[in-house]
Amino acid sequence: MNKRIKILVYIPLVLVSIVMIFPFLWMVMNSFNSSANVFSIPPKIVPDLFLKPGMFSNYVSVLGEFNFGRYTLNSFIVAGGSALGQVVTCTLAGFAFAFMDFKGKNIIFATILVTIMVPVQVTIIPEFLLMMKLNWLDTYAPLIVPSVLIGSFGTFMFKEFFESIPKTMIDAGSIDGAGSFRMYFNLYLPQSHAQLATLFIIAFMNNWNDLLRPILYINTEKLQTVTMALTQFQSQYTAKWNLLLTGGVLSIIPLLIIYISLQRFIIQGIASTGTKG
Amino acid sequence: MKRKQLSWYKKQDPWLFLFPTIVGLIFFRVGPIISSFLISFTDWDILRDARFLALDNYKELFTSSAFYQVFGNTLAFSFIYVCGVTIFGLLLALLLNQKLKGMKFFRSAFYTPVVTSAVAVGIIWTWILSPKYGILTIVLTKMGLDSPYWLGDPSLALFTVALIQVWKMSGYYMILFLAGLQNIPESLKEAARIDGAGKFKTFTKITLPLLTPTTFFVLSISIIDSFKNFELIYAMTRGGPQNSTNTLVYDVYLNAFVYYRMGYSSALAYVLLFIVGLLTAFNFYGKKRWVQYQY
Amino acid sequence: MKTVERIFIVMLVFMMTAGLFANGAQEAGTDEEAVLQYWSWDPELKSRNQEMIAKFEAANPGIKVELTTIEPKEYWTKIRIMANQKKLPDVFNLSAGYLEEWSQNGLLLDLSEYIANDLNNNDFYMNLFDAVKDLSGTDSYYAFPYALVTTLLYYNKDLFDAEGISYPDSNWTWDDFRDAAMKLTKDINSDGSIDQWGYWFYGRYAHIESWVYSNNGHLINRDTMKYEPDAKALEAISFLTDLVLEDKAAPSKKEMSAFRQQDVFPQGAAAMFVDGSWNIDNNRSVAGDTINWGIAELPKGPSGDGSLTYGWPDSLAISPNTKNADAAWKFTRFAAGEGLSMNMVMAGKIPSYRPLTESDAFLEKGQQPDNKDLLIQQAGEDMRTSFTLSWGEWRGYGAAESLGFNGLIDGIIDGEFSYSEALELADKNVNTVLDRNYK
Repeated sequence: MNKRIKILVYIPLVLVSIVMIFPFLWMVMNSFNSSANVFSIPPKIVPDLFLKPGMFSNYVSVLGEFNFGRYTLNSFIVAGGSALGQVVTCTLAGFAFAFMDFKGKNIIFATILVTIMVPVQVTIIPEFLLMMKLNWLDTYAPLIVPSVLIGSFGTFMFKEFFESIPKTMIDAGSIDGAGSFRMYFNLYLPQSHAQLATLFIIAFMNNWNDLLRPILYINTEKLQTVTMALTQFQSQYTAKWNLLLTGGVLSIIPLLIIYISLQRFIIQGIASTGTKG
Repeated sequence: MKRKQLSWYKKQDPWLFLFPTIVGLIFFRVGPIISSFLISFTDWDILRDARFLALDNYKELFTSSAFYQVFGNTLAFSFIYVCGVTIFGLLLALLLNQKLKGMKFFRSAFYTPVVTSAVAVGIIWTWILSPKYGILTIVLTKMGLDSPYWLGDPSLALFTVALIQVWKMSGYYMILFLAGLQNIPESLKEAARIDGAGKFKTFTKITLPLLTPTTFFVLSISIIDSFKNFELIYAMTRGGPQNSTNTLVYDVYLNAFVYYRMGYSSALAYVLLFIVGLLTAFNFYGKKRWVQYQY
Repeated sequence: MKTVERIFIVMLVFMMTAGLFANGAQEAGTDEEAVLQYWSWDPELKSRNQEMIAKFEAANPGIKVELTTIEPKEYWTKIRIMANQKKLPDVFNLSAGYLEEWSQNGLLLDLSEYIANDLNNNDFYMNLFDAVKDLSGTDSYYAFPYALVTTLLYYNKDLFDAEGISYPDSNWTWDDFRDAAMKLTKDINSDGSIDQWGYWFYGRYAHIESWVYSNNGHLINRDTMKYEPDAKALEAISFLTDLVLEDKAAPSKKEMSAFRQQDVFPQGAAAMFVDGSWNIDNNRSVAGDTINWGIAELPKGPSGDGSLTYGWPDSLAISPNTKNADAAWKFTRFAAGEGLSMNMVMAGKIPSYRPLTESDAFLEKGQQPDNKDLLIQQAGEDMRTSFTLSWGEWRGYGAAESLGFNGLIDGIIDGEFSYSEALELADKNVNTVLDRNYK
């Protein structure tokens, strides 16, 4: 490729990266501002606490005084529990859809696919009433159980994946007299590490970022997830932008770490849905 | 179907495997979809018992000017979103689909906003767009331009929020397009080039048609996705100023959990479901006119 | 399909047991103790509430109180669900705005007996109890008012001094106020843009109704239960919007959008502000020693005589389903009476417990403002509110903060509607909501 075209490709790429990344950088930079410095005009490009003693004082107060450590832990419990459960549910369902014949198979599968398009707002009121009847309000259960049991995307993904594995494995397994559960657990799951990771990460992120269910179901402060806590923080401390932006940074750091270290799985997973869909 | 004599699984096995999924479908999908339909015919404020209203909620809805505003906002948001992510997603994918250094880095960078929460994104952008103190305002003013009141001007707020959602999600659609582009056999483009087609012609005659299945998939997903704007609106504008960013999903929330009008809210939710269904059906119906499946 | 049926039964049992388990985990406490659940809507008072509870528990062995604190924004949804479940906390905060709805739906314990037999009437401002009765629209006392909230004119003494304007007093009229506001609006550093404003008008309930009542007007016709602002009320609204649009003595919302609305005044960006008396606390913490400020009654409108105040009582209520009504009453009386300390009423609320209000502690000498006796005087005035059923919906409150009537006022300020267009819309929109509630 000649040089002129290279430049023609790189210039827009660099510009777009700036647009995509700058807001995050700006947030991080502002989290090193003291309260006095946030409203300075013109804004200081280098924040006043940056690389100075007390550089992390906003972080200390947001984590300590404002309890963000606890909220982050809660988010890990909720997102981790949901993602783990979803992996189990979806692989089981995907296995059944891929290899077994039973009455109503097509109808059930079609229902799963069609209900993907139903927005959560349509089902939230009855779901809320159900949680009320079950006495699950103000526990983690309403944040975890629905997303464990509804994994349309994962079910679809694993059905496709299992079908792509040669059927001879099933034949070999059944000659050995392996039951269906052993077949699933010992033969198929070990082959799908990449897919398991993909589904886990995507489910983890979706649950980490969910807002509607936490604000409806959680009362007790120490059960709040970090995303929910951030909105509460926002209405209480809008004037303290340095603290608010610090909270924002803290809420996305865990996800960014997971994303950067495991992005291969995420991107392959997303890409595979597109080419098969 | 031939009845299997020797099956490797027992008859009840499929149901054991599907048990959690079926519980989920009944309790969190099909059940709620039906019961919210029933609730939409009642007047219920949580405190008192529900009262049967027949079609009154729907009558109120279709005669209320506020509803038409919310409805319009919803469609406008979806339109900006679907067009935005499709066009940007495709452009970014085309840029990245080059055998050049650093493409992995750019791909990761463009995908970063997708993994961050809408609430955090809302906070970042509220700060950047803030009049007087926001960096964008300051830069625009420095350049001698009049910085608009992005989130406070009713004629601009919806557009701003939708654009931020496009910013956040384009990376996702870029990945889908990129996968589609990489699935196109190089030999076909090669053949076109040997036939004397220029770059542009190869693109319009070979790449675009072969990308139509991906484009169709992108449209299907983005239509469904375009209605999921609750988080960003909650974090940025709360439906204001003057209802200008109040969309159906936010209005469902307000009516149900702020005004405590469960019946009316369910009716709104059904309108939402109807629109999503209609647009999706429309997309599928139009599919055979433009999607090309053979290579 | 027998198997499927069996699976469903198993699943139901599973979910129910899980539910019971989740419930069982929350209930603790031994049999001899009366355990009271107390829900508060103020996260800032959490630790002070806990101290108050500790004192109560020490004085009343055998009664335990468990505190739950919820953000005001989510409080009403959550407590409504508890009401629906017949699981209301034994004692909870109740806003005057919900008195009507809740008392008429049997969700509050009638306290009339207790108040008649087990309360020293000399210890409390009984006119607040009557206000509670009026607001509930019944003949019984359904809540225990612990503090009165009113509205005040806050003014920045430093800026008044610099301009040589005398401080507002009870004789001030709207014209005096406007003159002062215009004089106090200045471009201090001569850069072509105003950096000191005379007034800050935010357009929410405390910022509008207070002016309406200072002109003896009303927004709601209590006989027809319709939104029918009289000419005096309209005069107040146009006076306020003109301050921003015509007189340019108050900033637009855009100008101040990076701040919380309640921080504009204590940060010194505006010389005057009208807001609830609860804001005294915020002014102290935001302004600190950086500015000197005072409080005054609202200026009198052309038709006002200074005798009508926008104010309402904050109350404690007891659940009708409580198993420990006597203990709950004891706690309520304590929490609203001797248990209350000055740092729990956010300085600007006026306790209904007279020994506290009439003590020197209430005047908080040495802290700003130096004329807190003004509040005691306001406690004796006639009170009016705009509360109705579904008030939060037509007025705009909580997650709907920028919608409803608020949205229309914002629209006038932002130039989206003309004054008359906004009023036409208000007439239509507000009455749609009211008509649904009062048939």
